[in-house]
This record gives sequence, C-alpha cells and structure tokens, in this order.
Amino acid sequence: MAGLSLKNIYKIYPGDVTAVKDFNLEIKDKEFIVLVGPSGCGKSTTLRMIAGLEEITKGELFIEDRIVNEVAPKDRDIAMVFQNYALYPHMTVYDNMAFGLKLRKTPKAEIHRRVSEAAKILDIEELLERKPKALSGGQRQRVALGRAIVREPKVFLMDEPLSNLDAKLRVLMRTEISKLHYKLQTTFIYVTHDQTEAMTMGDRIVVMKDGLIQQVDTPLNLYNSPVNVFVAGFIGSPQMNFITGQIEATGDSTFFVFDNYRILLTPEKSKVLKDKGYVNKEVVMGIRPEDIHDEESIIEKYTGCVVDGNIEVSELMGAEVYLYLKIGEHNITARVGSNSKSDPNTITKLAFDPNKIHMFDKKSELAIF
Amino acid sequence: MSSNKHRSKKVILIISILLAIIFLAPFYLVLTNSFKTQQGIFLNVMRLPFGDFFNPQNYIEAFKQLNYIRSFLNSLFITVFSTIIIIIFSSMAAWMLVRTKTKLSTFLFFLFTSAMLIPFQSVMLPLVNIMGRLGLLNPIGLIFMYLGFGSSLSIILYHGFVKNIPIELEEAATIDGCSPIQIFLYIIFPLLKPITVTVSILNVMWIWNDFLLPQLVINKPQWHTIPLKMFYFFGQYSRRWDLALAGLVISMIPIITFYFIVQKHIIKGITQGSIK
Repeated sequence: MAGLSLKNIYKIYPGDVTAVKDFNLEIKDKEFIVLVGPSGCGKSTTLRMIAGLEEITKGELFIEDRIVNEVAPKDRDIAMVFQNYALYPHMTVYDNMAFGLKLRKTPKAEIHRRVSEAAKILDIEELLERKPKALSGGQRQRVALGRAIVREPKVFLMDEPLSNLDAKLRVLMRTEISKLHYKLQTTFIYVTHDQTEAMTMGDRIVVMKDGLIQQVDTPLNLYNSPVNVFVAGFIGSPQMNFITGQIEATGDSTFFVFDNYRILLTPEKSKVLKDKGYVNKEVVMGIRPEDIHDEESIIEKYTGCVVDGNIEVSELMGAEVYLYLKIGEHNITARVGSNSKSDPNTITKLAFDPNKIHMFDKKSELAIF
Repeated sequence: MSSNKHRSKKVILIISILLAIIFLAPFYLVLTNSFKTQQGIFLNVMRLPFGDFFNPQNYIEAFKQLNYIRSFLNSLFITVFSTIIIIIFSSMAAWMLVRTKTKLSTFLFFLFTSAMLIPFQSVMLPLVNIMGRLGLLNPIGLIFMYLGFGSSLSIILYHGFVKNIPIELEEAATIDGCSPIQIFLYIIFPLLKPITVTVSILNVMWIWNDFLLPQLVINKPQWHTIPLKMFYFFGQYSRRWDLALAGLVISMIPIITFYFIVQKHIIKGITQGSIK
C-alpha cells in the first residue's frame, strides 16, 4: 500500500517524439486511478514508466516517498496485469502465479498459502494444474490478476486488462476488479481507452490527450464539469452534442443563436457570458443527449429552449431510445424514453434543459461553464 | 464422381508404393549384402543372404576394424558438444537480434544469412591453414568450426520463432523479478523447445554424418569418427564391401534411433510456428 507522486514527468523517444509531456499527479494510498484517453495519448507509456519498463526521460517518480526513477522494476514493489495477459504458456496456472515468489526465494509453504488464497479469491482453484492454453479468456484474465495478487504489491498496474474480453465478460470482470480493489485495499492504476470502464471503476480519472493531462477529477465532476471540449466529448456515451453558434443579448435576456433557433439561457449563465465578454461572439454549446427532452411537460416548462428535430435514425435500447436527429445543419443525438415517438423522417419538438447547457470558447475550446 | 475419386486414390497408392521402393532399395541392398560374403555380393547383389553366402561374421569383423566403441564415442562427443554449443549460442544470439532493434543487429542478422551462401569448399583450405597455426586441428577445434558453420541456419530458424514470442512475456518476467539471463533460461528457452528439437536434429544429422571437415581437421587416429573409420574399408588395392556394408549398418543404428525418438517433434517444430 503506497501513494505515488509523479512530478514533471516527460517521455521523449529518439527522433524527438514526445509521448508524455509534463505529467504531474499525486496518487493517494489505496486510490483507484484510471488513466483514460484515445490511443496514442501516452496513457500506456505513463503506466510503463511507473512499472519501470520505460525509462523516464525527465521528471521524478516517487513511490511512498522513495524516488524510483533508477530502481529496477522488480524492486519497485509493483505488479502489472497486461492486455494480452502475458501468462507463461509453458507453466501451469500454479507455476504462473508462484513464479515471482519463487524468484524471490519465498518459502514453499508461504508460496502455497498465497497462491491458494489468491485462487480462492478469484475462484480459480480448479484451474491450478492447467496450462494457459486450456483456459478461456476470462479465466486467463483471472490468472493474470492472481499472479499480481500473490505478490502482495504496494501498487497494482493494469494495462487495458479487459479489452481482449467479450462485452458480457468485460462487464462482469469490471465489477470483479472493483470488488478486488475494495478487498485488497491497495493502490490501483488502471489504463483504458473505454470511458465506461473509467467512469464505473475509478475513484479519480485522468483524461489524457497527445501526452498531456486534460483533467483529473472524480467521475461525476468530470461528467458534470468538463474543462474543455475534448473531455466533454470523450466522457459520456453517447457523446455530448456540440453546436457552434453566437451569443446575443436582447434586453435582460441572453440567447444562444444557431441555424434560426434561439435558445434562452438562464440568468446565471447569461451573467457569466456577459461578464466574460462573449456577447456577439461565436461559442460552442455542449449538451448531453439525456438533457434533450421530448416530454410535453418539459417542452412547456422550457419554452425558450425548444427546437424542431428531424429524426433520421432511432435506436431502441430497451429502456430508452437514441434519436439521431438533424436540427438545422447540426447532427444531434437525444436520449429519450422508450415510449417516445421515434419514427424516422418525422419532425419532433425537443427542449434543451437550460440548466445543463455547457459553453466552450470556440478558439481555445476551454469551458466557459 | 465416387469412382473417379476411387481411381485417383489407387493411382496415388501405386505412386507411393513405387516411391517407397525407390527410397528403401538402398537400405535393402545395404542390409542384405551386409550379411553376405564378399564373393556372395559380387555373384548376386539382389539375393537374400541365405545358404552358402550367409556370413554374419562381417559384423564382428567390422566392429573390430572400426574400433567401434572408440569411434562411436568420438562421434558422440563431437556431435553432442557441437550441437549443444550451436543451440546455446544461436538461440541466445537470435533472441538478442530480435529484441535489439538497431542497425547493427540488422546488419549482423544479414551477415549470418549471407554466410549460408558461401560454399564450404571455398573456405576449407584457408580455414584449415589458420586453425592449424592456432593449434586447433583437434576435436575441440572441430567443435568450434561446427559452431561457425552451423550457427547461420540455426540463428535464422530461431530468429523466426523468437519473433512470435510476445514481448509482454518478458516484461511480465522482468516485473516478476527476472534478470535478462533468467528471462532467457526460464521463459524464452523453454518456449523455443519445438524449434530447438528441429535445430538439434538438423545439426546432429549433419555433424554425425560429416566426413570432409573431420578428415581435414583430425589427424590422430584415436580421434577418428565413424565416417572416417569407414573410409579404411576402401583401401588402395582392396575394397571390402562386406565389411563396409556391415559397418554402415552399425553406424546407422544410433542416428536412426535418434531420429525415431525425436521424429514426432520435427513435425511439431515445423507446424507450431507461434505461441499464443
């Protein structure tokens, strides 16, 4: 169990390719941190630097107050779970799990105790004599986790451990890993490109893009208050809708104007826009699919925020329907109840929830609110 | 349709039988004639070894003249040590050549590949000359030369195989606490088993049967291998076919036994290209 501290970490590859830029993060003891971002954003590189598999070009990495930049991976007291499991194909499950302990000359009885205990936690007791080839994807994943658990490390590192599993198993293993974290009470650092995994598992999420941290926050804060267009678009599924338009002020009221539509903004939001000088300037409005409503009551409540949308495609998800609409020139996704009107090529009235509207600066893409 | 299929099966069977006869005929000739007297061989080479010409004494005589135990041990020593050294060096070299991605490693790999194109005959005289000056015209020098000649093909075979081993296995082992040499011994080398079998078969066959290089390198009769000893049956004035054939049979036994023991691995080595 340990906290980590990453200070001004850089990874620069030969040829001046910068994979990670000025990465600063304090990870608390027992915290579940998720690094998330599109492929090539530097999240795996960061994890590999923590593991010691990649050299840190610049900056300092502390594990529990000890600087470990030059410390060999085996002496960092970490364990790692790989995307393709990386189980040793010629060893049985037992030997796979015991290998690290054998190298450390742990007494046999102790090895046996730890392996049995981990096997019990992961429900793989019957598989101990099998070779990895004879296991299913989910079982291999459990063994890979088991191999990490027996080491009783201070920090668990996981590099997209669920991406080779099928959708159903992924959901199952997601909860299993969360339970494991709760049970082991150890620091977890988890890398994924899947924002759902990040949202459901992490205590805090680090969103990365092009080697830079975009935002570090709890899942809820990240969802409700994204700092820029990238984070707003990356977190949430289906993703947030973005509409480019202009801010106009008429008397006391402020409107967001796009494609012949005028969306009346709330007084608080208007004040922020006015104070920051965005009146008569172009901005990007963001609204999440679930904040676009087609219920009569809400349309009546927010009469200033009503638009007409032409339904192009509708997808019934069971409890809800995703509507893919054309509003003016913009393609918009709305998430409505399953008993809504959703016939393709019909025009439907929709209301934007004015309290849930996000605004971003068009040039810097940073959030205004 | 089905009669056509039936007919083509028959044709294949007949061709297979003919091929089998062609391939097995030399074995038949060697085996039957090894039990005949010299006279019997010349009178009727195809006849089975019964009656007047039956002479199993050939084997005892050949065994004695070959100094079989001694030459067998010489062959065994040279073959086993050469093969072991080739396996150790080429598997390690191939591993490093795959994992090190520099211009030098590409160049070295190219060098090993191109070395295969140079015929042995074109280098044998300068080689023997140099080795002679170094005082290495003995079994140790011979093993060293086999390492040089054998490593090219072995490295290429290992190289192709190592490429299929995911690097994550090595990274997992690093985190588990392995040093590079432990990674090789505990992870990489065991995974190379199928190709190691193939490499060892190819090298054992070649080294065990090799005549030219030992002939050039080994001067002292006490170090002569079986192929060298066999040569003495063909003197300037006499050719002892009866003894030579019996000698051939007893010299073939070890290598054929070895082949049968490992043959199922050969197919595995060829087909099992990747580790998933």
